[in-house]
Amino acid sequence: MKKSISLRQTGMLIVMMILANKILLLPSLLYKTVKTDGVFVVMTLFLIDLLVFGVFIKLKLAYPDKKLAEILEENLGKIAAKLIFSILLVFFMFKVFLTFSIAFMYLKQQVYQNEFAVIAIICVLPVINHAVICGLRSFSRTIELFYYLVVGLFILCLMIALGSFKQTPTYFVSQPGDFGMALVKNVFSFGDYLFLFLVIDRIEIEKKDVKKVFKYIFLGIALVVALFFIYYSIYETTAFMHNYAIADILTITVEFNAIGRLDIVAMVTIMLLSLFQMEIFQYGFCECFVGIFKKLNKVFAIAVFDVLFLVVYYILVGRYETMVMYVETWLPYFAMVANYLLAIVFFGISFKKSGKNRSKSSENTLIFTKSDQMLENEGEEQNSLPQELLESLKETFEQEEPQKNMIKSSIKTKKAKKQPKLLQGGQNEIS
Amino acid sequence: MSKFVLQKKLEGYKKELHSSSDVASRILEKQGVKIGFVYLKSMTDQELFSNAIYQAIQNYKEKVDMTSLQDKIIRGNDVKEIKEEEVVENILKGSIIIMIEGEKKILAVDLLKFPTRTPSEPPTSPVIQGPREGFVEDIKTNITLLRRRLHSKDLVFKSLNIGKYSNTQVMVSYIEGIADKKIVDDVIKKLKKIDIGGVVDSYYILSFLQRRPDSLFKQVGNTEKPDIVAAKMLEGRVAIIVDNSPIVLTVPFVLLEEMQSSNDYYTNHHYSSFVRIIRLLGLLVAILSPGLYLALELHHYNVLPLNFLITIADTTQGLPFTPFIEILFIFILFQMLYEVSLRLPSYLGLATSVVGALILGDTGVKAGLISPPGVIVVALAKIALYTIPEQSAQISILQVIFIVIGGTLGLAGIVTGLVYFTNYLNGLDSFNTPYLAPYSPRIPNDLKDGIFKSSVTEMKTRPKSIKNTNKVRLK
Repeated sequence: MKKSISLRQTGMLIVMMILANKILLLPSLLYKTVKTDGVFVVMTLFLIDLLVFGVFIKLKLAYPDKKLAEILEENLGKIAAKLIFSILLVFFMFKVFLTFSIAFMYLKQQVYQNEFAVIAIICVLPVINHAVICGLRSFSRTIELFYYLVVGLFILCLMIALGSFKQTPTYFVSQPGDFGMALVKNVFSFGDYLFLFLVIDRIEIEKKDVKKVFKYIFLGIALVVALFFIYYSIYETTAFMHNYAIADILTITVEFNAIGRLDIVAMVTIMLLSLFQMEIFQYGFCECFVGIFKKLNKVFAIAVFDVLFLVVYYILVGRYETMVMYVETWLPYFAMVANYLLAIVFFGISFKKSGKNRSKSSENTLIFTKSDQMLENEGEEQNSLPQELLESLKETFEQEEPQKNMIKSSIKTKKAKKQPKLLQGGQNEIS
Repeated sequence: MSKFVLQKKLEGYKKELHSSSDVASRILEKQGVKIGFVYLKSMTDQELFSNAIYQAIQNYKEKVDMTSLQDKIIRGNDVKEIKEEEVVENILKGSIIIMIEGEKKILAVDLLKFPTRTPSEPPTSPVIQGPREGFVEDIKTNITLLRRRLHSKDLVFKSLNIGKYSNTQVMVSYIEGIADKKIVDDVIKKLKKIDIGGVVDSYYILSFLQRRPDSLFKQVGNTEKPDIVAAKMLEGRVAIIVDNSPIVLTVPFVLLEEMQSSNDYYTNHHYSSFVRIIRLLGLLVAILSPGLYLALELHHYNVLPLNFLITIADTTQGLPFTPFIEILFIFILFQMLYEVSLRLPSYLGLATSVVGALILGDTGVKAGLISPPGVIVVALAKIALYTIPEQSAQISILQVIFIVIGGTLGLAGIVTGLVYFTNYLNGLDSFNTPYLAPYSPRIPNDLKDGIFKSSVTEMKTRPKSIKNTNKVRLK
């Protein structure tokens, strides 16, 4: 039985993906390049990502029940399908590493203030591995359960931070070149909708429901944009120094006497968001792995991921400079390939499919039109048919009105295709 | 059948029952007719046997044969004709077997009698208002208790016998037209598969009905109250009644059921909602508070309010144990007291609790072995545990897990632990009903009887999370 997820759960997954790796490091990284215009960079990238989501919807409507692997193999062949899965695999793997590294650095510097590596690995690996084993539906339900808590905590962080709001900063200060560079450099933090392509067959979404998903998307975007505005307003000139935006906007408001330090709110939000993000993308990694190596199962994929995780940990995690180097050098270009090039490929596939449907539809309409015309004794060709045969065909169609209707309405079915063709064939034979 | 043959037959049955000392046989000779009886002394009503059968036969003026026995002499009793191979089974069920020399017919008269208690309020689910009856060990009484609440031809009981040696009667009960047939068939199929030596209590078959028998979390509901079972059956659930057990099992089961109490349905629904919120808070406090306290004290003391931090620092200064060991020590002490108070007679149990909680706790603090905040936190968690007494065993284990996680990994451990267990619970289901329904996945219709309870007039449909064949509850 296919364990699908509901529209609501899909929306909540999207919100988690939108929030997770844009609320810590990204605002300060953007500030270094484009100052406060970082907020517009983020908005632009969100807009581009929306197009990717549009491609997802188009592909889903074109192939409502098919797996991504089946769609790719059908349209591009097995080798290309595996290549695309490999790109996605690397993309998701680095997404997990990036999310982990940022959360790790935040927790190590701001919360634990001592050797934290073992704690982090013990906390993260078993939980995300277990989530992958439990499956998409289980962790989607978990996200559904925590959704209001996470969004509530996030909004609480923003509201508390409003108390430290100084003044509206000056915007439109960057050069177009810097703006473009910022767009390119920070692509890797986006591209979240790629995950949806992987589980395309397990998402219950219909054309009429698409608007409902947009409500979730816009909420996610609104929260991130609001965070950027507030963050730049609080740290107008020193924003580059504060690497953990959602937590840093609260540090100024420390010591609410009766409650204590309120950055615990941000701490819990970051932990939950990072964990959910890692669950989602590790699941993506494992799906890709199984898509490439069809004979291996998910447990093997998890084992491979864990080994890679530990290896990359020593190279990347906990070293801010190394991580920024990766994030700003080759990862953006790779992310552009993964996010936008693949989106174009998927768009092509969906366009091809809808084109096919259109041509099938017009072909069948033509056949029917001819048949109808023939039955109505109009046109030269029909006139050349023996009158008796025409009469009998007309009678048959009139008597079998329901069947005719069925043929008309279900052009897609082979039965509908065959019957008029037979009629046409018969006509030719007679001709 | 000569007397010798009759005697031999009776001896044969006794032998088949390993000449157990409570197997009795008698031969009564009247007007040349020899009548044999075999029965279990421990299971039959001997007074009734003596008056309604033995005396009645002796007082009968005419010649006794099987027809007269069945139709005239022992009328009014549960008499049935049985085959020879059914004799031992009927003896074990408390019937008296009657045979007549020269006749092939064998009669079994149900004179089962054993000590039973009358339905009383179960100690595990007392109510302030509402019915106080509870199930008893006798399955027939339990069926009557359900029949009294559901006077419907659609209330069905399907009987099964489980256990090689116990041959325990198990009844699968449901309401035809509400319960999903697939669930009923699935339950019966699972029960039929059980090949066990004996079923002493309903808990013996509980694990067989769970999809994950080794799980910490139970996936089958259990109650001692007939009104709860009747209400659950009206929602489409299936009940499993086991002879000799006052606990009736119900499936499918969702965790939310543990938040609901029968009291909630016999009081104002606004108050029920309030109490349910308290129970949810109690659950969270019970599971998380000791672990969270440790996490904050050991790893994130900087987020605590300054005054609170100073108090903790003052009280924990000079303690010989680390906070982690201290909390674990207090926790184990409380758990021991709990076990002692359960097992000792009530008068001793109370005394031990007072000695343990007051004197040990107070002396421990004064001696500088444990800190007052530590005692308060663990005591709070232990009290909160009993807002949901049915889950106390599971919560106790979770408390230990979160103490260990909080003490070693801090807040990150607590958060990841929560996510881990939520993922785990979301992976569970009971007969295709999601364990955390109606919250995850969210089923708006079922939220009417969720943490916030609606009035009965608003609950017009049956829960959607439980498969049933009749959605309409109220027209």
